[in-house]
Order: sequence, then C-alpha cells, then structure tokens
Amino acid sequence: MKTQDKEMKVSVLALAVRCALMAAVTFPLVAQADDDAYALTHPTNMVDFGALYSSQSSAKFGEYNGLNEEGFYGLGGFDVRGGKGYDSANSALRWKLNGTNLGTTSRNLGASISEQGKWKINLGYDELQHNITDTYQTPFQEDRGGNNFTLPANFGKPAGTVLTNTNNLGASRLNAFHTEKEYTTRRNSSLGTSYTFGEQLSAQIDYNHLEQSGAKLIGTGAQGGINLAGTSTGKAEAVNILFNPTSYSTDNITAALNWKGEKAHLSGGYYGSIFHDDYNSLSWQNGVASAASTCTGSGCFTNNTMSTAPSNSLHQANLSGGYDFSSATKLVGGFSYGYNTQNSSFAPTLIPQASGIASSMMWGSGYPSSLNGVVETTHGDLKLTNQSIKDLTLSAGFKFNERDNSTDSSIYRYKAINDANAAIQTAVPVTNYTGINTPYSNRKTQYEVAAAYRLTNAQNLRLAYEREDIKRWCNGVIGGAQCISSPTSEEDKVGLTYRLKVFNDVNFNAGYSYAKRNAHFDHNFLANDGNRSITSVGGSHSVLNGADLIGFVAYPYANRNQNLGKAGINWQLTQKIDFGVNGNYKYDDYDAMLGVQNGHSAGVSVDAAYNYEENSSVSAYWSWQNGKRNLRNGTGPSNTTANVSNIGIWTNQLEDNSNTVGLLTRNGGLLGGKLEVIGDFSYALDSSAYSTQVPYLSTCSAATTLSCGNVSPIKNELISLKLTGNYKVHKNGKVALAYIYQKLNSNDYFYNGQQYGYTPSTLVPTNLQPQDYTVNVVALSYSLAF
Amino acid sequence: MNILLKIILLFGLLTMSVYAENTAAPVKAPTAKPSDSLNKDSACTKCHDENESKPILAIAQTAHGNKADSRTPSCQSCHGESEKHMSNKTVAPDVIFGLKKGAFSPNEAKDQNTACLTCHDKDQKRTHWQGGAHQVADVACTSCHVTHTAHDKVRDKQTQPEVCFTCHKDQRAQVKKFSHHPIGEGKVACADCHNPHGSAGPKMLVKNTVTETCYTCHAEKRGPLLWEHQPVTEDCTNCHTPHGSNITPLLKSRAPFLCQECHDGPHASRSPVAESAEGIQGGATSASANTTGRACMNCHSMVHGSNDPAGALLHR
Repeated sequence: MKTQDKEMKVSVLALAVRCALMAAVTFPLVAQADDDAYALTHPTNMVDFGALYSSQSSAKFGEYNGLNEEGFYGLGGFDVRGGKGYDSANSALRWKLNGTNLGTTSRNLGASISEQGKWKINLGYDELQHNITDTYQTPFQEDRGGNNFTLPANFGKPAGTVLTNTNNLGASRLNAFHTEKEYTTRRNSSLGTSYTFGEQLSAQIDYNHLEQSGAKLIGTGAQGGINLAGTSTGKAEAVNILFNPTSYSTDNITAALNWKGEKAHLSGGYYGSIFHDDYNSLSWQNGVASAASTCTGSGCFTNNTMSTAPSNSLHQANLSGGYDFSSATKLVGGFSYGYNTQNSSFAPTLIPQASGIASSMMWGSGYPSSLNGVVETTHGDLKLTNQSIKDLTLSAGFKFNERDNSTDSSIYRYKAINDANAAIQTAVPVTNYTGINTPYSNRKTQYEVAAAYRLTNAQNLRLAYEREDIKRWCNGVIGGAQCISSPTSEEDKVGLTYRLKVFNDVNFNAGYSYAKRNAHFDHNFLANDGNRSITSVGGSHSVLNGADLIGFVAYPYANRNQNLGKAGINWQLTQKIDFGVNGNYKYDDYDAMLGVQNGHSAGVSVDAAYNYEENSSVSAYWSWQNGKRNLRNGTGPSNTTANVSNIGIWTNQLEDNSNTVGLLTRNGGLLGGKLEVIGDFSYALDSSAYSTQVPYLSTCSAATTLSCGNVSPIKNELISLKLTGNYKVHKNGKVALAYIYQKLNSNDYFYNGQQYGYTPSTLVPTNLQPQDYTVNVVALSYSLAF
Repeated sequence: MNILLKIILLFGLLTMSVYAENTAAPVKAPTAKPSDSLNKDSACTKCHDENESKPILAIAQTAHGNKADSRTPSCQSCHGESEKHMSNKTVAPDVIFGLKKGAFSPNEAKDQNTACLTCHDKDQKRTHWQGGAHQVADVACTSCHVTHTAHDKVRDKQTQPEVCFTCHKDQRAQVKKFSHHPIGEGKVACADCHNPHGSAGPKMLVKNTVTETCYTCHAEKRGPLLWEHQPVTEDCTNCHTPHGSNITPLLKSRAPFLCQECHDGPHASRSPVAESAEGIQGGATSASANTTGRACMNCHSMVHGSNDPAGALLHR
C-alpha cells in the first residue's frame, strides 16, 4: 500500500502541476476580462511558489510544520478551480485542485469534482511528520521503525559481575552511543464519493487509508541482575528507553444511505475501521545484567520481549434520523452497534538466549496463542423538542452507551520482570505471578430534561436537569472475583443559564451548574492495578481494595460534588470596536478518605478588537488559566489496615498557571492599495508545580529521601512573532515576504534523570535534552492569481 | 437490554410510520436544472452589485451560487421577500444575517437559523442541532459561517480554529501550550473531533463516546487488549487533556503524581515524592527509576493496556 501511496502522490501532484500550467497559459485570456462582476462570480485560481530559510534545527519548532532542520525549504501551493457550473445555468459541474505546504513534510493535496445535486468525487492526500526529539542517544543497533534492538558486541559484557551503576558506563560503552531522531510520519490518503438519487435519497462512501511509520520512545523494564544460566544474583529492574515502532496502517470506511421526506429523515450507515500493526512484539538485549557462567565471548546479553499494539478491527452499523410531529415538535434519535475484535498473535513468550537455553516468560502450559478478544458497543439516543408554547422551548433526551467486553477470562502464570530466574526456562520462578485477565465492561445511561424560556425580548433563562447512571462489570472472570472498584454510580446535575441583552450592543451571559455523583464503592475488589494476584495466598496483591490502602478511592470512581460557574460580557462599543470579558470557575470536591480530595480550574479571557478601516484592524487578547488538585495519600503500614488514621498521611498539590497574550494587526491599503502588512504576536507562559507535604516523617527533606517540599516548576515560555508583507506587483501577482521569530524557553526536570552520570543505577541514559530553541525564519514567495 | 429493545422498537415503528407517511411524496429525477426563483435575484443585484463594500456576488462561487442545481436558493429564499425594503431602502430586509449591527440590526439568531434550516435541517450532520449546545446558546449559523464569500473560513481546516476560538477562548490559549494537537499548524481542525451542529456524543463529539472519537486516529489504542487498564477503556480524558497541556503527551499531570491519583498501594505508589523527582540534579544523593524521568512508566510503559501474556502489570 505504501507503493500505491507514492504512486498516487506523484500522479496527483503531476496532474495538479499540469493543470496549473494549463491554467497559467490561459491566464492572459482571463485577465483580459476586466470585469469586477466576473471576478466576483468566478473563482480566482492561484499558484504560489518561493523559498524559506530556517535558522536552526529543532525538532520542537518543527514538531508539526515540517521545518525541523536548519536550511532552505521550497514553498509551493496551488488552488485551481473550474467547471461549467460557474458560468452555465445548464451544468452544475465544478472541479477543484489544491495543494499546500508542498515543500515540507506537512504537505497536503486535494482534488474534487462534482455535478452539484447529483454526484461528487473527492481525493485527498495529507502528510504529517511529527518530530519529537533530535537529541535521543542510544547504544542499540536498529533503525528507527525496526523492532529488534541489539547491542554492539563490544558494548562490553558484564563479565561475571553485576553492572551496579549505569552512571559509570565507561568510555568504551559511551562510545557506542549515537544520536537518533525520534519522529513518526502519518500519510493519509482519502477517497470519497456521493450520489444523489433524487430529492429524497442519497448515498455516500468515504474511504481513508492512514499509513504510519517511525517510532516513539518507550520505557522497557527487564531483570537487571540475572544470570543467563545458573543461580540468581537478584537485582532491581533495568530500564532501557527504546524506539517503539509505529509501523501501522488504518483503513477507515464510512458508507451511508440517506433518505429525507417532508417530515422525516433517516440515515443508515456502516463504519469500518481496520487497524494493522506490522509487528506484534519489540525485542531488545539488556546490557545491564550479570554475565552467564556458561556464556563466554561477546554478546552475552539477556534477550527480552514485550508486546506492541495489536492489530484489531471495528465494524459498526449506524442508524440516525428524525421526525417532525409538527413544526413545533421534533424527535431525533440514533442507534448504533459495533463489533470490535482483536486476535493478533501474542508476543513470543519463549525468548532465545545467548547461552542457548531459551527462557520462557510463562510458567506452566496451555496458554492460547492469541486473545480472540471481542467487544460489542451499543449506542442509542432519543431527543424530543417542543416549542408549542410561545417563548418556551422544552426538550427531553435519553442516551445509552454500552461497552460489553465478552473476551474470555483466563489464568496466565508468568515470571515478573524482577524475577531472578526470569531468563531460565527450567528454573522455578522466584517471583511468579498468576494473572487473571478481567475484561472490563461498562454501561452509561443518561437522561436530560430542559426548559428554555424567553422572559422578555432581552432575557432568556434555561433550566436543565441531567441524570447519569453508570454500571461497570467484568464478564466471566475466572474465580468470580470482583474486578471493579465502583460497580455503579449515579450523578444528578442541575444547570441554570441566563442571557441578557443589557443594551442593544451589550450581551451578558451567566451560568451555574451543580452536579452530585454518588459512586458505590466496593472495597472487596481485587484488580485495580494490573488484574493479578500473587500466587502466595494472602500476598501483598491478593488483599482488599485492589492492594490500595483501605479508604483510598481513585478519583474517577469517588463520590463527587461539582460546582461550575461561568459568566461573560461582550460589548460592541461602536461598529468598529468590540470588547469582551469571559470567565469560568469549576470546583470538584471528592468524598474520599484517601485519594484526590478536591480541585478547581478557573479561566479569564479579555478580548478587544478595533476594525479601524475596511481592511485594517488590530485585536488583542489576554487569557489566564489556573488549576489546582489536592491529593491525600498514605504510606502504610499495611494495605490491610482498616484504620487509616494510624498510617502516615502525606499530601500533594498540583498547581497549573497559564498566561497567554496575543496581538494581531492587519494593515491593508498601504502604498495605494498595493501593500498589506500583517503582524501576529503571541506570548504564552505555562507552569506546573508540585508540592508534597509529609508531616509524619521528619527526615523527609534529607538528601537521601527528598520526599517533601516543592518540585521545581515545569515552565514553558513561548514567544512568537510573525510579520508578513504582501505586495501587489501587478494586478494578478503578489510577492509575500514573511519573517517569523519563535523562541521557546523550557525548564523541565524531566530530562534530569536521563543524563550521563545522573541516571538511576539501572537506567540506561538517553541524554535527552530540553527542547529550547530560538528560530528565525524568512520566507519569500510569489503568488500568481489567474 | 430492555431499554435497547425499546429503542429499537420505537425506532422501527417510527421508521415505518415515517415511511408510510412519506412514500406518497414524488421522487424527482436527479436535479441539474436552475430554479425559476433565481430570476428574482436581479431585483436585488441591481442595487447590491459588484460595487458593494461587502462582495456579496461572490456567493456565485459557493454551493449556494450554482445555478444549475435546482436547490440553489435565491436572495429571497434566505432574506425573505423584503417587500418594504424594495420600496424603501431605509427599511431593513426581512432577514438580516450576522452578529454585528451594521446599516441594520441583525435578526435574532433563531430567525436567522430558521432561514438556513429550511433547507439544512434534514441532514445527518445536523440531526442533533435542535437542543444541542450551540442551538440552546442561541448561536446563529452566521456566527460561524459566511455565505457571500468564496472562502468560508470555518470550512477550511487551516482557518477553522480561529472561527471557533472567537467564543472558545480557553481552547485558544490551550493550543499554544507545549504539548498540543497540530491545531494551530492546520493539520487537525476542531471539526475532526467535534460536530458543531450537535451530536449524540459528549461535548458534541463526532462519535458516540470520547474513546470512540479518539480511536478514529489512534486506532492502536482500541484493542481489546488482554490486560486492560480500566480508566483507559472508559474515557481517555481521565489522564489526557485534548486541547493542550504543559506536560507531554497532553497529560493532565505527570508520573508518578498522575499515577498516584488512582494508586496508593502496590510497589512505590504509596511513597511520597517531591524533589526526588528531580534526581541528583535536584539535590538527591541518588536517582530512582520510580520517580525520575518517565517514573512509573519507565517500567509500566503499557499504560494503554498490554497484549503480552506476561504483561499483567503493564510492563510488557
């Protein structure tokens, strides 16, 4: 399919260029039609080309715009339209070809042709390279996009001793590190067609093929101190940060048959989504392990595997429509049923080792080779609206969504990554888990009634009540354990909104809502942290509350009171000047002895715009946002302890602050109408700060612990300035000169623990660097209109 | 299941009754014939010509100006017959679109919308308009759409967000955060996830649920997986914030703090963390893989679920 993509890309591009050239040849003829009305009623075709220079290589600056490398880029774009449908009253045929950003990896191409009212065909191609980082360093030998990561033979075997600290890799090992760029690429091809059979019946089919390549970094845990053969030395997990391949394709198809009558309409359709991953596993060698007593020479590293995203498919039937009982009473609704399956082969569990003895990740036998997973999704909705009473609008609605996971539950006995004998097939695992998969199902039912009343010509009031019931369960769990912490919950919500036209040009709105969620919590649930219990009965993970402390409730499943308010005023001072202030505040209060206690979010935006001439304006805005989350957790001493007052309580607070300022100016009509200057400035400063208090531990601030106090805020400051000048060199030609200055100041402790000499003892460094940049871009282009 | 059966039954009855009611309606042949009503346009365009400050004639470049389509509206189809205006130019036409006061004050949103919905109400994408968030907030079609121009910003992926940000100002700021979808870059538009005309999903999402909407592009997360992570199967926004975040990738918080919001028991999840998250450079005598960098996700990296028989702890 990749080959086909390339072919299509070339052919569409070639076709577009040919069409553009053909159109350019005819340009003088059209140009002669110096007629304003003609120009207004007929499409203006456009071709632009030019060059751009970017002053610095930066994956972050070029994250989505394709300008990740320092240097020159070609600029290209076109928009060509035609067809008799622009001239004739007897033909509705129109076509269009367009392309943007052709010189970068963010290019886009499109084509469409239609006889309006009868049929339409459209083609599209869209490319996006997501540049993530260009500072990743790794000793592994494998191309980005591959799935088998090996170490160079001279990386140095542990030589019979456990490598105790990756901070001291040594010169020979450090020499093996090389820099790789982390990015993924998405290539999206689409084909759509629609046909109208008559005034009442139409059909449409849309097909979309998405190819993804590249890789994203992923953490991999592996036993850090095992022998390849022999007895265990025991050691904490080793961590390698690897390229997880995104070698994916997704085919989406949407087909619908639409019918509409005088009083009703109905649409029946199919949605299919087929996801394919070229791999089912990721393999790597672990250099942070002791050597095998029976393994000599180079390359005595332990081999490991993990799964990747499995191929899967979804087939969904959809029905939606509406019926007008009268002009005042309408009913709309929909129903859909989806069948989602996944039966991709499991990742290998028998891992070949250099010693010649393969290690098995599983203990025992009789495991399936794939999941045969099935999830059925069902949706239904109905909404009735009525406007029979003057100035009063009533509505009542119902929604139903179910995810029913009927995948089999089975027992999997496996060796944990910290098992001392994990790499030895024949040895009895020291840390042996019995996992029972718990296929999660849930059902959400929602009801809503609302009334909107127009109090006066200038005032509107709306009152709404919503009810949401959630049920959660697992089908056929082996042993019948309760897998869900909150099997049911109900939430009631009332909302009031008010709108007032204070004066003719001043609009005010305000709203308030209150919601109360009552979640039924079952402390007997066993599987909140990975669906497993340790084999030893009464072990630390087979106890109550999913091994969390009694009294701890995960916030999505806790009782909650929510208050939300918002208000805004927008004022058109004159026909040229607008001003607005809008704000919102939300407060969540959770009823949980341990867990998230409460949190709020608030925001204020101030906007002003001055349109001082027809083509000239200046607008500015400021947005402030603040959020807080308060967490209260405990340390023990035992997860079976019922009385949480006796255990060590600690708290953590997250506070987010954000300030954004924007200024946009457009000044047209300069130099006798030939020059237009556009300025776009923005400044954004975001910070996220954590503060932890551990009152029960007096040594919490000691360097060996550092478990209390304030973490350095994660700060990102982005300054962006774009200046564009468009100069009309002749009636149909325009030169654009643009300058972009963008600077990111980033201060984030995330990178600390990945630097050479500063990593945790068994984490292989990546030397990832903060993504600060200062980039200057100059672009010059010429646009020809014809 | 009872509820489902009722829905199906109700829909079946509705469909049959509707079909019965509508089968008598004549089915016309495919249309490529100009409407006679377009002849009345000249009554308007003799004044509202190419010299208008707003180039209204550009409507001819849009779907509303394709004369060979019998559905193409005349000026009067949307603006009303406007008989008083025809005889006295100081009197407003019957329907004035827009938000701002110009020569005349615009009509109320519901009256403007009635004109549009005359043709556009029985449409799959607008099924849920009535009672939807935008309708109840009195948003007019012309709050977002401009009909007398060849380029309607809201229908162009590159320029659509600036239209939506006119009202959704928090999101305008959020898309500028360190971690964001490529919205400002024109590669993802608001309408890729939301249906502004109303939907059966939450927050006017294009699909019925949050997860279903996200899987449209992120199908690799769909599974079903052998070892599921419960909150992931229910709602992606339990951990992610879609419009922008200070913490990559679009996270509400960072591990280990994020994980500790739901876990306080196994392994290191019950241990308090502060500057230890900053590692040796933060003043700690040693760094721990439990707290620095990816923290929990150094090892528990399969947070979206694992399909490895040995991956119950979301390691593999």
